[in-house]
Amino acid sequence: MSAIKPVLTKGIGELNLRDLEVYRSEGGYVQFERALKELTPAAVLDMTTRSGLRGRGGAGFPTGKKWSFLPNDGRPRYMVCNCDEAEPGTFKDHMLLEETPHQVLEGILLGAYGIGSHHAFIYIRGEFRRGYEIFRAALDQARAAGYVGSNLFGTGYDLELTIHRGAGAYICGEETALLNSLEGKRGEPRLKPPFPALQGLYQMPTVVNNVETLASLPHILRNGPEWFAQVGPERSPGYKIVSISGHVKRPGNYEVALGTSMRTLIDECAGGMRDGRKFMAVQPGGASSACLFEEHLDLSYDFDTIAKAGSMIGSGAMVVFDDTTDFVKAAHAVVRFFAHESCGQCTPCREGGNWISRTLTRILDGRGVPSDIEVLKSAGHQMTGLNLCALGDSVEPFLASVLHRFEDQFRAYVTAPQAAVA
Amino acid sequence: MSNQAISTLEPVPDFAVLAAGLQDEFRALIAQYEDSRSALLPIIHRFQEAEGYVSPQAMQVSAELLNLPLAVVESTVSFYTLFFRKPVGKYMLQVCRNLSCALNGAEEIMAQFRERLGVGHLETTDDGLFSYEEVECLAACDKAPCMQVNLDFVYHLTPDLVDALLAGIRNGTYTDTPPLPQRAKPERSWHVAQDTGKKAAGALGVSNPNAPGGIGDASGRAALQRIVDDTAVGARTHERLVREGQAGTLHPGKDAHERH
Repeated sequence: MSAIKPVLTKGIGELNLRDLEVYRSEGGYVQFERALKELTPAAVLDMTTRSGLRGRGGAGFPTGKKWSFLPNDGRPRYMVCNCDEAEPGTFKDHMLLEETPHQVLEGILLGAYGIGSHHAFIYIRGEFRRGYEIFRAALDQARAAGYVGSNLFGTGYDLELTIHRGAGAYICGEETALLNSLEGKRGEPRLKPPFPALQGLYQMPTVVNNVETLASLPHILRNGPEWFAQVGPERSPGYKIVSISGHVKRPGNYEVALGTSMRTLIDECAGGMRDGRKFMAVQPGGASSACLFEEHLDLSYDFDTIAKAGSMIGSGAMVVFDDTTDFVKAAHAVVRFFAHESCGQCTPCREGGNWISRTLTRILDGRGVPSDIEVLKSAGHQMTGLNLCALGDSVEPFLASVLHRFEDQFRAYVTAPQAAVA
Repeated sequence: MSNQAISTLEPVPDFAVLAAGLQDEFRALIAQYEDSRSALLPIIHRFQEAEGYVSPQAMQVSAELLNLPLAVVESTVSFYTLFFRKPVGKYMLQVCRNLSCALNGAEEIMAQFRERLGVGHLETTDDGLFSYEEVECLAACDKAPCMQVNLDFVYHLTPDLVDALLAGIRNGTYTDTPPLPQRAKPERSWHVAQDTGKKAAGALGVSNPNAPGGIGDASGRAALQRIVDDTAVGARTHERLVREGQAGTLHPGKDAHERH
């Protein structure tokens, strides 16, 4: 296996990294202290930009560039850490939050300093109550140790951190929905522009970054941006935690250099397919991504290569399917998810997702008709590009890809209907 | 707090004591934010922790405290699936129904829960001990199938584990998860089933699609067909994607749909 030295996952499962002293013994908070004492925010921004770090939450936007959009107009700025992980198949932030809360915390503090913010937030998914308690304990420790509060290290820099819990809504992972939820409103995405960089939290310049993105910062500062930039493909550099689940022998989080092949990820990291089973398909980037197949397995797992193949790595969630999979049921689970999580603002997403979900329900119940296949082929596509946010656009990719590849499975349901259930 | 607010709610002595006791905590929560409204979710969380659900009084007090219209508070609370606006059972069982869990046997686990509890999705048992919900991805796909009991994770569910869990809660030997406080009688159906597409019946937990208004209903089909036949929508999407240089780059099979 192309073993790399673990970076973000170092010590997980071996050390109690929830304890401040243990984290410090591993070099924790050294970079934050150094940044405050020796580096300007502009220098932290510059290092982030030069590292080539791209957002780990799904969109893959260059982090340094995102920060650089903030206007220099003297208004307060906010750093918000997005820990509303809910993309089906993704479970890396859940692990980072519970196992290395101080690493996440140091990343948030560095990010906040890098954009010159004096008040940072972390939005923690409501279901992660345990993670919230662990992080709150870590924050208490960090505050007592003088890493959070006013006049940090005597530099005169103030930095406060507030934990905000969500309450069950996938859409709050979308950054403007998250900001609305943080403002005490319904988690509905905002019309963009204006983007959060100009008018974010409380209408002030705001950056929303993913947990893993921010957790990478201490390492980039410690080892230098060049160290990060030289790992993996030129335009998708760095280390990435890939969550692998589904029909593999060893599902789990695996930290690799971007650019590792999907075959390596599945066969070597996750132990390959279950015994006696054959690989059929993989969703490379969570529920929003289109399936890829056997012929794609040797592709490099990075933002651009997978996008070119017609899918995306998203937040780094691979769901692997073997030859026992009923792709009609799989499509139903995915479409039903988006139908359920639609915030309801945009008609194509609110209505379209439900129509498709119910069509699939009917097909599975043995009441489908051949023309349903045509409906499935066209309806998802007609939702795409018509909504405020990407949720409505996420219904089509998986459905279209498996329908294209496994149309026979869908046809089998509608041409040989099972006896209708009374 | 003032009892002069316009309210049709009957005063609940218990509740008044509770709310008064939480005032200091609420002030601290509000102080965390630049805008007091941001404290709405934390305050509601706190009320639910104390009462087991979000009572009408809790929403009323929150509205007064944050100087918001009650309707705004109700609208916000209703947006979030983890806020229960009706009393629920002592143990809220939330089983993941999403993809990675489904690939690892979640359907059988859910069927077993429904059978053992005698209730369906979004329902509470008559004794008020359990509420049952089938939820979306809980971000623990490596330990599928998984669930939460009062927000505590239970991983790698098996039929035996399900039975042991239910038996343990019933006979008081399962102590990993503290019960939710019960300040009102749980209702058998605790939540208005807004999404009828996921209620009861059949192995997949879905409604009868042939019911009036369902997609199998003739009028529903005709309506959908009209939408599908409206080729203008597809064409506009395509034009926009071409204009933005995105056509055909993201989704495979898109070309197959360009017949519109």
